[in-house]
Amino acid sequence: MADGKEAILSELENSVKNLQEEAAMEAARKALSAGVSPIDAIEKGLAKGIRQVGEKFERKEMFVVELIYAAEIMSNAIKILEPELRKSKEKRNVLAHVVLGTVAGDIHDIGKNLVRIMLEASGFEVRDIGKDAPIDGFISAAKEMGAEIVGASSLMTTTVSVQKEVVDALRSGGIEAPLMVGGAAVTEAWAKEIGAVYSSDAGSAVSVAKSLVGKGG
Amino acid sequence: MGHTMGRGLYGMRPLDVMDPVDAEKIHVNSLHLLETMGIKVVSAEGLRLLKEAGAEVDEKAKIAKIPSYLVADAVSKCRRPVRLCARNPKNDMVLDGEHCHICTDGTGLSTIDLETGVRRDSTKKDVADSARVVDYLEMMNIYYPIVTPLDVPKHSHTLHEFDATFNNCEKHITSGATYMKEEAQYELKMAAAVAGGWDELKRRPLVSALTCTTSPMVLGMTTDAAIEFVRAGCPPMMMTMPLIGATSPMTVAGAILVGNAQVLALTTVCQLAAPGSPVCYSTEPMAMDIQSGLFEGLFPAANMVRAAHVQMARYYKIPIFVGGWGSCSKLPDAQAAYEKALSAFTYYLAGADITSGPGLLENWTVLSYEQLLIDYEMYTIMLDMLKGIEVNDDTMALDVIMNVGHEGHFLGKKHTLDHFKTMWQPMITDGQTYHSWKAAGSKSAADNARAKAKEILKTHEVTPLPDDVKKEFAAIIKEGEQKIPH
Repeated sequence: MADGKEAILSELENSVKNLQEEAAMEAARKALSAGVSPIDAIEKGLAKGIRQVGEKFERKEMFVVELIYAAEIMSNAIKILEPELRKSKEKRNVLAHVVLGTVAGDIHDIGKNLVRIMLEASGFEVRDIGKDAPIDGFISAAKEMGAEIVGASSLMTTTVSVQKEVVDALRSGGIEAPLMVGGAAVTEAWAKEIGAVYSSDAGSAVSVAKSLVGKGG
Repeated sequence: MGHTMGRGLYGMRPLDVMDPVDAEKIHVNSLHLLETMGIKVVSAEGLRLLKEAGAEVDEKAKIAKIPSYLVADAVSKCRRPVRLCARNPKNDMVLDGEHCHICTDGTGLSTIDLETGVRRDSTKKDVADSARVVDYLEMMNIYYPIVTPLDVPKHSHTLHEFDATFNNCEKHITSGATYMKEEAQYELKMAAAVAGGWDELKRRPLVSALTCTTSPMVLGMTTDAAIEFVRAGCPPMMMTMPLIGATSPMTVAGAILVGNAQVLALTTVCQLAAPGSPVCYSTEPMAMDIQSGLFEGLFPAANMVRAAHVQMARYYKIPIFVGGWGSCSKLPDAQAAYEKALSAFTYYLAGADITSGPGLLENWTVLSYEQLLIDYEMYTIMLDMLKGIEVNDDTMALDVIMNVGHEGHFLGKKHTLDHFKTMWQPMITDGQTYHSWKAAGSKSAADNARAKAKEILKTHEVTPLPDDVKKEFAAIIKEGEQKIPH
């Protein structure tokens, strides 16, 4: 049976790595029927696959479209594992918990989605509160999941000021988690001014997040 | 087949810069000039051929009045399509009027040194190095020795250029500095040595040559070189290079007319010398800076003369080689980029088969390796646009749009995955965020190009010619150095 489990895990890993959606679904179903723990299926299978895609993306050996497609495959495979995952007492081994959203008034969320994919691929648990996200949405989500990092994205110069409102609301709500900001309208100087941490793109978001939680950068 | 891109693959039409009626007027008046005014033919062989065919020749003034029927007959005889072959057959091309190609240009005398950044005299090594870079660049089709080496005997420089080129580039070669019959003969001997004999060279023309006419209304000594090339089955690029306002009228239409008449005259001589031989129309006019009197390649008037000559070449169904990509700039800077982009893209839109000039600055006199890669980058952008737009059920993606719905996105869709690799990709163009760009050393396009050129020269290798051909080259060069008049 051990061999069978190893084979299923490598099928999960390879199907994500090689962008084969059908194979990933099939491997997830096999994992369930073979009694593979859903946590293992994710961490020792799917996540290993997407980490390799993420690394190849960083090295410019794979393209952003492929990274996103791999993430879709992974999240669809996780949907199959979900019923078992809810029953399981095991917890996923995560680097840190992150709340992520595109600020109120801004609907440009592609960059934010890339950051989510890269963070998840690197072992962070991300709660994505979507686009045009109200300020209290960041606060309540951060409290609920006990977030160690909050991320707020903004593409437009007209919404960049909302990032300051988010950081102010976090602090007055008693949340000390650092705010990571990014997006086309954001600069390093602006981040400093509002007491946030700047990340220029999805790749650097991972190293910034890791250094924020003391797990290397 | 060499890497080429179908122009208007998906229905894009060539741009007419003149009303078709006006193109017809240029043609009719060109015939009128050749028949009534005639053209001075300095080449004895050219004059003899025209006289024997029925032109009215004034031997003393060397002027031939060419009847229209001779011109029409010559145009109809030109070989179509024209094939340009290469040392490595995978780089062969067919000029069928439906594909874009690119060639370097010459004949610079200085090089901006890749290591020091200092301008210095050009050397045989520069020919070898730039040929190797061109060999590496996938979509580059033809190498024309970009610079004239100043470290070899002056009268035999083209033979040294061929030596450096054939050993470092497996693509078609165009010689740009062939002025004399004897030069042409020795160049062709070298090409035949590589091809494996004269018959093989005729079957697979590995070389072509720019042969200039002289404005206004002269066929000079280069006519003899053109005759040598057509007789060997290798196409001459029959070039006209009017200086607008000096050797042609000040008006664009006047320059178009003078240039077109000269090309028709040389076409006639070439087809009389070798009926049915391959030839190409070619144009590289210059415009005057009316303040200083200096002549510049890429002023708007000169661009429009070229684009109009492309239209005339299409009218005659003869492929055209356009001297473009020039710039008056001394550096790989913004001026170089806009002059080059606006000129070259216009000619391709008009339907040019080949444009030439990547890598040269200051009116085709200075080689910049950085500029060579920047120009190549611009060319790949142009190609991506020139193919036009594929419109069908799969590319319109009606069902994908409906499936994604309102406010969704297409990034994770299979359709996106299936199509994204057709997108243009940069080689040296920077597209990073400011933060990443700064972290990577704040590099300009020229900085990136310099690094890429160094990388190519460090890593790209070309199989040298076989030893027996090398030996033959040495003998031909030795003989050429003695026998080419100097």
